[in-house]
Amino acid sequence: MEKYIKWKNIYQNPSFPSFIILIAIIILNAFLQHNFFTYRAFKSNLLTFTPLILTSVAQGLVILVGCVDLSLGATISLVTVLMASLMGDSLFSMVIVVFIGSGLALLMSFINGFIISYFDPPPLLTTYATSVLWFGIALFFMPTPGGYIPSHFSKMYRSDLFPRFPVVLLFLIGAFCFLFFMSKTRFYKHIYAVGGNEEAAYANGVNVFITKIKVFLLSGIFIALASICVVAQTATGDARSGLSFSLNSVAASIIGGLSFSGGRGSIIGPIMGGLILGLLINVLYFANITSFYQEFMKGIIIIFSLAVGAIPKYLKTRSL
Amino acid sequence: MNNNKFLILISDKTTPKEFLFSKLAISFYAIILLFVFGEIILPGFISFSHVMSVLRLSVFLGIVALGQTFVVLSGNEGIDLSVGSILSIGVVLSAFFLNGQNINIPKALLFTPSVGLAFGLISGLAISYIEIPPIIMTLAMASVVEGTSLIITKGFPTGNAPPLLETIGNGKIFNIPYLIILWILLIIIASFILKKTKWGNLLYGVGSNSLTAELSGVRVKRFRVFVYGICGAIAALAGLFLLSYTGTPYLNLGATYTMPSIASLAIGGISLAGGNGNYIGAVTGCIILTTLNSILVALRTTEAVRQITLGLLLLILVIAYTGRRKRW
Repeated sequence: MEKYIKWKNIYQNPSFPSFIILIAIIILNAFLQHNFFTYRAFKSNLLTFTPLILTSVAQGLVILVGCVDLSLGATISLVTVLMASLMGDSLFSMVIVVFIGSGLALLMSFINGFIISYFDPPPLLTTYATSVLWFGIALFFMPTPGGYIPSHFSKMYRSDLFPRFPVVLLFLIGAFCFLFFMSKTRFYKHIYAVGGNEEAAYANGVNVFITKIKVFLLSGIFIALASICVVAQTATGDARSGLSFSLNSVAASIIGGLSFSGGRGSIIGPIMGGLILGLLINVLYFANITSFYQEFMKGIIIIFSLAVGAIPKYLKTRSL
Repeated sequence: MNNNKFLILISDKTTPKEFLFSKLAISFYAIILLFVFGEIILPGFISFSHVMSVLRLSVFLGIVALGQTFVVLSGNEGIDLSVGSILSIGVVLSAFFLNGQNINIPKALLFTPSVGLAFGLISGLAISYIEIPPIIMTLAMASVVEGTSLIITKGFPTGNAPPLLETIGNGKIFNIPYLIILWILLIIIASFILKKTKWGNLLYGVGSNSLTAELSGVRVKRFRVFVYGICGAIAALAGLFLLSYTGTPYLNLGATYTMPSIASLAIGGISLAGGNGNYIGAVTGCIILTTLNSILVALRTTEAVRQITLGLLLLILVIAYTGRRKRW
């Protein structure tokens, strides 16, 4: 049994550069925003970032298995539209609608997963097609933002469970625990196997079909959580609410060190990537960068993070 | 003369019967079906002038799809998500350089594609040498380009198209719009380049098997950088043409061109993995998408119904074209 930490394992981990970038951005943010370490700022940041972090985890799982899912944002849109259309004031209604919404998210993810696993089309185009489809359905039911979310639902989401412990944190901690326990299962290894080399995984007895479907269902769970967060935060249903999540979650996963071809990267990567993207927007705001420059800087910093993320790969090939 | 064009487009090994059932032919049938469907639903759809105006709308998507075709053909899961933003900045920059004067046309024709080329080259360099996946790199680039266009215009694009360019954009000869003639020329040139020149053959080679190409002495990485550059230049040029059609510049005109350019490639049977396919396929894809959209608009459907139709169509196509029952 090793009594020392293998430093090499840590700094050669594909997600390690994103950890460094995350620390750098936190420092930058703390420097620019004077009240960054106050509880209020912490909670407000948490409220804003959680949907993106959860979506990035969902996307990260899909990327790990070798696919990509551009329809996550549209799924969130449709589920929030559904929840905002159905929810009533009673506790019963809230609970039921949350379950229905989650079920819908799972169903939509299952459809994606089934089509991709059974027919083997390019995931990019398939999920783009489904994202257009979900977006259309969401627009059909709610052409303009609206719907009704009871105010105590929203308030409950924004409140604290204990002093200094926001409810939102529960979502994140629940997600982390779930991921932690999942990482000990054989299924987790199957994800990496299928993502790394499908044929080899199949030859070794891994049920590729079932694994892929399970991964999409799993991402559906996280999307369901993210939709609950979005709908509680905004208290409306908006067919366009999810649009930015799809591509941002892909960026977050890649910044987090995941390899696009699948099979490489830690699941913590997308979490860190999501945090980085979220804090990035904060940094741009507090650095008083005019809105004209924000889009530009966002792109530059993503490219920079990706370039930095490519460094361990580069170092590895050089040492050969 | 038609036979010549066919000879350029099909490889020597396709029998006429195979060609009739190829994806390309299916796309042609689909176009005809769409127009017939349009005529049934909206009498007068197949009038010459209406068909011409629908085709003219698809010219811009078609030009963008040419660049996208090159990138996708080059392999390595090549894709360019920044074409929409480069188109937008092309519109804005052309307007700025032209400033309504005919004399400025050569200047605009030189500088606008150069800017697109620059953006494309940067994407290509990062994709080839830093090995950032094309999806992410071009996506981030799209943000950068969009931001740049905001920065240089400060929200208010200036300038407009000069009279000569406006006539090209809106005028007709023998009732055929100039833009369509331009596009037909472009199709002929592009197909010739792809199938008959060394560069075109290199493109297919790099796309279908980059290792073999590398071992045969092709500098694959450098080649790919140029392909992305060319795609950027073409997208910016498309912006110039779009300006000639609209006359005045608007911000973010290109946003709705990115994903349809990829979808049109899929419809036209070009494999996203690279090495396979033909620009004509992308052309048919563009025409199908634009025609379908114009039918839906003429039917006064809501955006929701349009999106649902497009999504379903794309989904069915993607499954039918590229899907196969996997052995597991």
